[in-house]
Amino acid sequence: MNFARTMRALMVAPALCLMAGAALAQSYPNKPVRLVLPYSPGGIIDYVGRTMAQGLSTTLGQSVVAENRPGAGGITGTDTVARSAPDGYNLVLMDPAIVINPTLQASMPYDLFKQLTTVSIISTSPEVVVVAPDLPIKSLADLIAYGKANPGKLNFASAGIGTTPHLAGELFKQRTGIDATHVPYRSIGQSYPDMMNNKVQFAFSSIAGALPFTTDNRVRAIATTGNVRSNVYPDLPTVQETGLAGFEVDLWLGIFAPAATPADVIGKLNDAIRTTLKDPEVIKALAKVGVDPRGTTQKEGEAFLRDEFTKWKKVIEDGKIKEQQ
Amino acid sequence: MFIRAPKDFWSGVMFLCFAAVTLVTASGYSMGRGGRMGPGYFPTLLGAVLGLLGLILVLRSFAIRGEAVEKIQWRPLAALVGCVLLFAAMIQPLGLVIALSATTFLASFAGPDWRLREAALLSAGLTIAAVLIFVLGLRLPLPLWPSL
Amino acid sequence: MADVFSNIGLGLSVAASLQNLVYCMLGVVLGTLVGVLPGVGPVTTVAMLLPISFTLEPTSALILMAGIYYGAQYGGSTTAILINIPGEASSVITSLDGHQMARQGRAGPALGIAALGSFFAGCVATFIIAFGAPPLAKLALQFGPAEYFSLMLCGLVAAVVLARGSIIKAIAMVVLGLLFGLAGSDVNSGIRRFTFDMQGLADGIEFVALSMAIYGIAEVAINLERRQEEAKKVSAVGKLMPSGAELRACTPSILRGTFLGSILGVLPGGGALLAAFAAYTLEKKVAKPPRKFGEGDIRGVAAPESANNAGAQTSFIPMLTLGIPSNPTMALMIGALMVHGITPGPRVMTDRPELFWGVVASMWIGNLMLVILNLPMVGIWVKLLRMPYRLMFPMIVGFCCIGAYTINANVADIAVLAFFTCFGYLCLKLDCEPAPLILGFVLGPMMEENLRRALLISRGDPMVFVETPISIGFLLAAAGLLLVVAAPAIRRKREEAMAE
Repeated sequence: MNFARTMRALMVAPALCLMAGAALAQSYPNKPVRLVLPYSPGGIIDYVGRTMAQGLSTTLGQSVVAENRPGAGGITGTDTVARSAPDGYNLVLMDPAIVINPTLQASMPYDLFKQLTTVSIISTSPEVVVVAPDLPIKSLADLIAYGKANPGKLNFASAGIGTTPHLAGELFKQRTGIDATHVPYRSIGQSYPDMMNNKVQFAFSSIAGALPFTTDNRVRAIATTGNVRSNVYPDLPTVQETGLAGFEVDLWLGIFAPAATPADVIGKLNDAIRTTLKDPEVIKALAKVGVDPRGTTQKEGEAFLRDEFTKWKKVIEDGKIKEQQ
Repeated sequence: MFIRAPKDFWSGVMFLCFAAVTLVTASGYSMGRGGRMGPGYFPTLLGAVLGLLGLILVLRSFAIRGEAVEKIQWRPLAALVGCVLLFAAMIQPLGLVIALSATTFLASFAGPDWRLREAALLSAGLTIAAVLIFVLGLRLPLPLWPSL
Repeated sequence: MADVFSNIGLGLSVAASLQNLVYCMLGVVLGTLVGVLPGVGPVTTVAMLLPISFTLEPTSALILMAGIYYGAQYGGSTTAILINIPGEASSVITSLDGHQMARQGRAGPALGIAALGSFFAGCVATFIIAFGAPPLAKLALQFGPAEYFSLMLCGLVAAVVLARGSIIKAIAMVVLGLLFGLAGSDVNSGIRRFTFDMQGLADGIEFVALSMAIYGIAEVAINLERRQEEAKKVSAVGKLMPSGAELRACTPSILRGTFLGSILGVLPGGGALLAAFAAYTLEKKVAKPPRKFGEGDIRGVAAPESANNAGAQTSFIPMLTLGIPSNPTMALMIGALMVHGITPGPRVMTDRPELFWGVVASMWIGNLMLVILNLPMVGIWVKLLRMPYRLMFPMIVGFCCIGAYTINANVADIAVLAFFTCFGYLCLKLDCEPAPLILGFVLGPMMEENLRRALLISRGDPMVFVETPISIGFLLAAAGLLLVVAAPAIRRKREEAMAE
């Protein structure tokens, strides 16, 4: 029976290719869609990915299956989608690492701008600046002043080389001119015990990572890095408010597809994503981990991706981060 | 023969080989300086220690008496490693059903007395069990059949 | 004191509600199942259940996940004993003597003592959490990079003590294990080391693939050639339960294992594994003679099994009281709690006592369920061993292959399986024991990471390792252990020299 199905598919295949575009979009989606999550279960991507998969299944009327493909800082999972069939049934959810990896890594298995296309940037989430509670630092200005008064004494934690917390710290150093030593950890959560003991003094942390420690002031949150204040920390000023104009670090998430995916399929997906992001249930679910819905059009998304790529490339080059390896 | 403890001798050689690969590869990594220890420091240190230990084992094997190495029997080893590699090559293009039945069928060649009927039944049974447990029961994302 | 008892009472009333009993049961059954299956660990299972847990009450969700976690520890030791495939890192030690016992037809007592030891350790650990969570959490916070490095060093020296046979070979195997552990992306510099330009190795060598190759498949190869005739034979079944004498012999071992496990389990990262290794090492040194470790000594099963179960239990302390995950499974649980609007930390105990004490009490209930569930299973498992070896080994190989692939859906992991099968075969042929290698492999990355982090923070000053009493303590212990190992060896050398 399976043989027969295979044969039939083989005979139909060339015909299908001819009428690809239009026919595909009309019937799309007629089988489950795969949404690859390139990190291990348990992180923000995993949670947002599963929430979106569930929401999109309702919107599209076809099940969207989230699948973890961890490895090599997101490269493995992104690569499987970059190489898969451009039919709209293979998608990947990624964070800023997707634009940082090409600059940072010596070699990449795929070309981001040639092999992948943005379907939509779905969410935005600021980072939060946290400091060791023992220090007399209550604001970002205090931190900068402390750094200038104690050169060579500050350490900042990150979730590893080239992660957003690391590059945000580098950007901060470059903008303020203070000197701080980068201490990488495997995850930002791992660095909190050392921060509580004042072994590392500050970090740019994801909100989800910081929440357990900031709610009872075991570490002190002093600012958030978005354009506007965060709903989770409404009392904290943004870094921009405190005087560093244009300093924005966004832990955005985006959905990407193989570059050759037909435009109308992408359009259909983009519509579905934006509808899903307006669902109050989805908004509520995302808010729990400090993530706000965004939902750009494809064009906006592409432009945003380029901007982010350029921005982090500059930080990496100015900070001579590759040379330190 | 000068080698009086063959097991020690060959273990020493094995460790020396690993140490050589380590030292050569790690020479491409920065040693770092001051407080910032580079990615090459720790492996180089370990490689050197491993090399030293290997050398001691080799030299010592000329002096003290030890056991002989049992003869290597190639058939079981080759069949087992072969079937693992076969699984690696088949699982993604051909799917679980074909890959697993081929693997277990080949694996049974490693045994002392091989019977066609038994091997075939065994590989069929194992494949069915695996599909039931891993794919239908636990819903792991394993491909079942060849993908087009 | 009275407070603790009223708290435990509250916990029991929460955990014993019908709904929570059902989730606890479901958790331990699922946990046992995935512990037995290679490649599907508690992390995968908890991750798969995560979306469901969002719809449950937070206490029930946590009870379910906790059940999967410690249930898997149980299941892992079953395969370690029966077919020498340690599902979890901590059951590597169990397989040393446990599998030897199975071969001698004593699989029943081995499984039985594993279950009983674990149950006892689980009960004690539950009380330790109830009484000692806050001070133990403070202890965990005392551990900075320097303390971790010293602890790891001490653990590695212990691995040498643990080995049988040549000390030089054992040290070399530890070093080699450390080196294998370093493969993959380096946390401190971000570059990839020892990957030889293979994308599949970017995250390093997969532990499950390595241990299944060395213990599972390489062992099959050796068995097939060494015991041509035995491969045709059916192994003896023997009795199902440990005898009274065995139980008596094991009691001190279980007590020591439980104690070590409870303390080491509190430390985030590798706690349960270190505990099992440490307990086994201790037994080798202090157990009453005759000691037959490595040849099927039942105390070699009892001690590490109690230790790793106690450790698994107390590893909840940093998670529940500090919000610090000890391992990936705990990280998932923290994620689940946060989605429920609960931020794990010191306040959980006071703000949500029903959650904290409910989960603690459920662990005790869960352990009871595991014993009731597992003891009758012993008979069934042992019957499985009646299967002729020529039918069993293709099954082992097949399941190892699936297991290696399902961890990350990565073909490279199966290639790793093949490479380490050859390596493991060679080691067995050359009498190089793999247990020290395994410990080196697991501790290597953490050791280097903490060494470099400590020096980075101290700006290169090595005095950082002798600045705190904890760090000094571990370094002294390591030195002491080294003396213990070296002394008999030196004496033996001298005697050999004299004899010549």
